[in-house]
Amino acid sequence: MNRREFAKLSLAAGAMGITGFPLGITRSAGQAGGTLNTIIQPEPPILVTALNQQQPTLTLGGKIYESLLRYDFDLKPLPGLAQSWEVSEDRKTYTFKLYPNITFHDGTPLTADDVIFSVTKLLPETHARARGIFVRVESAEAPDPLTVVFKLKTPFAPFLGAFDCTTAPIVPKHIYEGTDYRKNPANQKAIGCGPFKLKEWVRGSHVHLVKHEGYYRPGEPHLDEIIYRVIPDAASRSVALEQGTVQLTQWSDVEAFDVQRLAQLPNVSMTTKGYELFAPHQWLELNNRIAPMNDKRFRQAVMSAIDRKALLQRVYFGLGKVATGPVSSKTRFYEKDVKQYEYSLDKAKALLDDMGLKPGPDGKRVSIPYLVPPYGEIYQRAAEFIRQSLGRVGIDVQLQGTDIAGWAEKCGNWDFSMTMNLVYQLGDPAIGVSRTYISSNIRKGVLFSNTAGYSNPEVDRLFEEAAVATSDDKRQELYSAVQKILVEDVPIVWLIEQDYPNFTDKRLKNVITTAIGVHETFGAVSFG
Amino acid sequence: MDTLKAFLRHPTGMIGLVILVAVLALAAAAPVLFPDSPWDMVGAPFQPPLSEGLLLGSDMLGRDVAAGIAYGARVSLMIGIAATLAAVLIGVVIGAVAGYFGDKVDDAMMRLTELFQTIPGFILAILLVATLGPTLTHVVVAIGAVSWPPVARLTRAEFLRLRGREFVQAAVCQGQPPLVVVLRHILPNALSPIIVTGSLTIATSILIESALSFMGLGDPNLMSWGFMIGASRTVIRQAWWMSVFPGIAILLTVLAINLVGEGLNDTLNPRVARKVRAA
Amino acid sequence: MSMSASAVSGGRGAAIVLPIVGWVAKFVGVVLVIATFNFILVHAAPGDPVQVIASQSGAADAKLLAQLRAEYGLDKPYPVQLAIYLKRVVTLDLGYSYRQQRPVRALIAERLPATLLLTATAFLIALTAGVVLGVLAGVRAGRWSDTLLTIVSLLLYAMPVFWLGLMLVLLFSVKLDWLPAFGYVTIGVEMSPLQRLGDIAAHLVLPATSLAAVYLAIYARLTRSSVIEVMHQDFIKTARSKGLTQGNIIARHILRNAILPVVTVAGMQAGALVGGAVVIETVFAWPGLGRLIYDAVLQRDYPVMLGIFLVMSVIVIVLNLITDAIYRLIDPRVALRAAS
Repeated sequence: MNRREFAKLSLAAGAMGITGFPLGITRSAGQAGGTLNTIIQPEPPILVTALNQQQPTLTLGGKIYESLLRYDFDLKPLPGLAQSWEVSEDRKTYTFKLYPNITFHDGTPLTADDVIFSVTKLLPETHARARGIFVRVESAEAPDPLTVVFKLKTPFAPFLGAFDCTTAPIVPKHIYEGTDYRKNPANQKAIGCGPFKLKEWVRGSHVHLVKHEGYYRPGEPHLDEIIYRVIPDAASRSVALEQGTVQLTQWSDVEAFDVQRLAQLPNVSMTTKGYELFAPHQWLELNNRIAPMNDKRFRQAVMSAIDRKALLQRVYFGLGKVATGPVSSKTRFYEKDVKQYEYSLDKAKALLDDMGLKPGPDGKRVSIPYLVPPYGEIYQRAAEFIRQSLGRVGIDVQLQGTDIAGWAEKCGNWDFSMTMNLVYQLGDPAIGVSRTYISSNIRKGVLFSNTAGYSNPEVDRLFEEAAVATSDDKRQELYSAVQKILVEDVPIVWLIEQDYPNFTDKRLKNVITTAIGVHETFGAVSFG
Repeated sequence: MDTLKAFLRHPTGMIGLVILVAVLALAAAAPVLFPDSPWDMVGAPFQPPLSEGLLLGSDMLGRDVAAGIAYGARVSLMIGIAATLAAVLIGVVIGAVAGYFGDKVDDAMMRLTELFQTIPGFILAILLVATLGPTLTHVVVAIGAVSWPPVARLTRAEFLRLRGREFVQAAVCQGQPPLVVVLRHILPNALSPIIVTGSLTIATSILIESALSFMGLGDPNLMSWGFMIGASRTVIRQAWWMSVFPGIAILLTVLAINLVGEGLNDTLNPRVARKVRAA
Repeated sequence: MSMSASAVSGGRGAAIVLPIVGWVAKFVGVVLVIATFNFILVHAAPGDPVQVIASQSGAADAKLLAQLRAEYGLDKPYPVQLAIYLKRVVTLDLGYSYRQQRPVRALIAERLPATLLLTATAFLIALTAGVVLGVLAGVRAGRWSDTLLTIVSLLLYAMPVFWLGLMLVLLFSVKLDWLPAFGYVTIGVEMSPLQRLGDIAAHLVLPATSLAAVYLAIYARLTRSSVIEVMHQDFIKTARSKGLTQGNIIARHILRNAILPVVTVAGMQAGALVGGAVVIETVFAWPGLGRLIYDAVLQRDYPVMLGIFLVMSVIVIVLNLITDAIYRLIDPRVALRAAS
């Protein structure tokens, strides 16, 4: 799901507070100090990332909560709270050594017990994505206060990829143990161990973060404070960036149609890096249970009938690239040597003819409803584009409008023929990709499962083996094989690897440095 | 015939009629003028008006704005008329029941009408379309559901007036059942003000439809003027023509219907002229 | 209409008391009926708010869904939920928003000032400008300025309010760059309270004008026709023969009589005015209740939808009450009766 787009619409109002926050843009030259003004949109309901994983929560909470590791753009682990780590021969034991002198915002030292509590107790209760990974932990031990040892039931290759601050934020055990996590009054204070702590949150206006003096990395954070402003209106966000009143925008803060214009501004630079962990994949989902979508030839015809390059240019304003298969080229284990679907109406028509789906007197072969996700204009335009494209080969697409709840329910309960979806790859195919294709994940009522209903025992086997394989070479081999099968079968019509622009003030340094980009802790960010 | 002659001599009514006929002609000729679907991406995106083959320019997907306006005329008129029929049907039934039976029934019916007039109608329409789902039928139902109270009030007033007339009393005394009295004797005499109100309701229905579509609550399969304006909002800096022309289309159509309605009003029943305008 | 009727039928000493009792009764009745109606409507619709929350966290499973459902009391039967809801409405507790994790009352309270500011400004513009233009046209009936007013008001009456708003943005913001196009205040600029006031006023001009336009047209035409009517009545001719000046006559006699139908119609159209505010808030990104309800509808945030619809209806009732009071103040007949 495109949380960003969703957020925009769902909350769009967000609430623009009437109280204006006096804006001291302290533009200090030099290495240390200064205030970073940026945007949070929509306003998150809560800042505790362990309890809520909506995108704005993760962006803001990333400054407050930290985890054991960070990941570079190629998703290779870097030290986080853990200064070093070891993986055993059998790939079942993971040992992390923590940095000394880590403290929470309330002054309490962070120890191995807090890590074990967060990973094995709290997160499996509150964080659906983390639950899927950390249930595999058989035991966790702390031989000393700075060492954590996790033992897995079976090898699970992506385990080492699950310790970024959006997946495994570490929370203080002394505050949460034995309480009702969601109702704990400390949630309002958002006590983590990140470089910034919550000073003030004026609902509808801004969230004010200030430097955590006891941060464990010497000299960090460089900034004195970060102010996240709630600016619900897209046009106002662009203006704020143009005028320099904010020095950073992320996700869809700047709408696609405005990106090219703003990229010309002299005072800002633009990058689309920093979304590698998420690697949002935009696709057309076909319900594989229903005729004619249950026929591979039909799905291949759809793939050929859509001019995805034109779609990218006209609807997405060129932000992204055409997807070639189930795995994003930005993430690990991508295989580019797969069947190519060039835009060809003749090929599409031939496939449809071949399956006996002949055009009627009105030129229509079949009529299919298309559930338009209510996540804003881009989805609407894309739906219109796809309807016209498929209309050219005789597939009559009828758009159905719906609200967010209606879309979520229909999609989750398989009550659709055709719809669009945006799904994150989450750093490893075993976490973010296989869930869409393996038959064991056909779960009614659950979004982001195998809602298309594709089922192929060979695919199931390959994904399963790859998840527990212990060497990357072996995994690549298995994932390459499964990608070839999937691209041949087209259970999903992959459209676009969507890019999101980060605009940063040219004086800002070290903003986008890891695979989670703007969700990172920002300890190293500085002006000048 | 006299009425027709009177209307033909009504200057603003005739101006309205001429515009309305032009809009109707455009709607009827849409498939001939623009054989391609208005959704087809026929040209380059963001072409200004008078570009090659694009009289009124193209939108962000390269769709012909002129084609959208021609097909939008069909949608606007169709929804305007259908919703008005629904509103008139509800309004006449409620007004007739209230006016014919009077007393407690009248009281109850008028309370209902009053309630519907108190509720912000457009918000109710939004709620209805959003919850039922944005399809042609639901849009018509929603507009009908919020447009009937003026018709009901008018019908009630007419019925109260006619109820006491001798020919109606005579029919009642002869033992004719209420339905017959209503359909044979009262309704035909109350028809002309209802027609006038109905014609003006078409105009407001078109406006409500355009506002719903503007907010993204129109049927996504129908190219409508409100939808075109809604889609143009974010790109208003790049493409003024995308919002200007559909708006002019709505303006002219609604204006024409209002002028025709007032012309009808002046010629059909000068007596209730003020009342209708106030409703 | 309804209020003017009650105003006329209200008897002597009861002229003040009875309407208030009646209004309170009507008020409570309307609120309860609307609340029930809303509740049925939104629960008849497909879509589960829990799915929405889950859909935003990137991963969802049965456990999370059940947790959320229990958390928000959505596992209870509908009649129980309705009873709970009505009981709360009576105590002015509008519930809790699942999506925004805040009390609905707080959400509404935060947005209400913006909507009230917008509608009140629009209403005042429409009323004053409408009456002034109407009187001017009425006393010059038949001249070119009168004809111009008639044409302009016909055009405004036929114009979709959101389109007018966009055209004003195109002219005054995009082309001329005189006024801000969107929003409520300029974001992130340090200002003194006075400057801030001016800033809000600048942001208010376009949306309030767009919203006022159609009512301005209606009021102007109404005023015009009643001015023409009044001018031909005997007491005006008498006043003129007594040697009163034109300005005096207008102020004393014509205006008072001509404004009555305007007040009546203004009361009737309060609902439309509030509805128009929803569209205008969408056009101008004005952070009021209109945008809040639009977003709430999209995400099936039941308590917010119900709460705003109720509050909007209450605003309409209050506006009705105000116009009723104005009517009583200026209608010489009502004033006379109350005095005797």
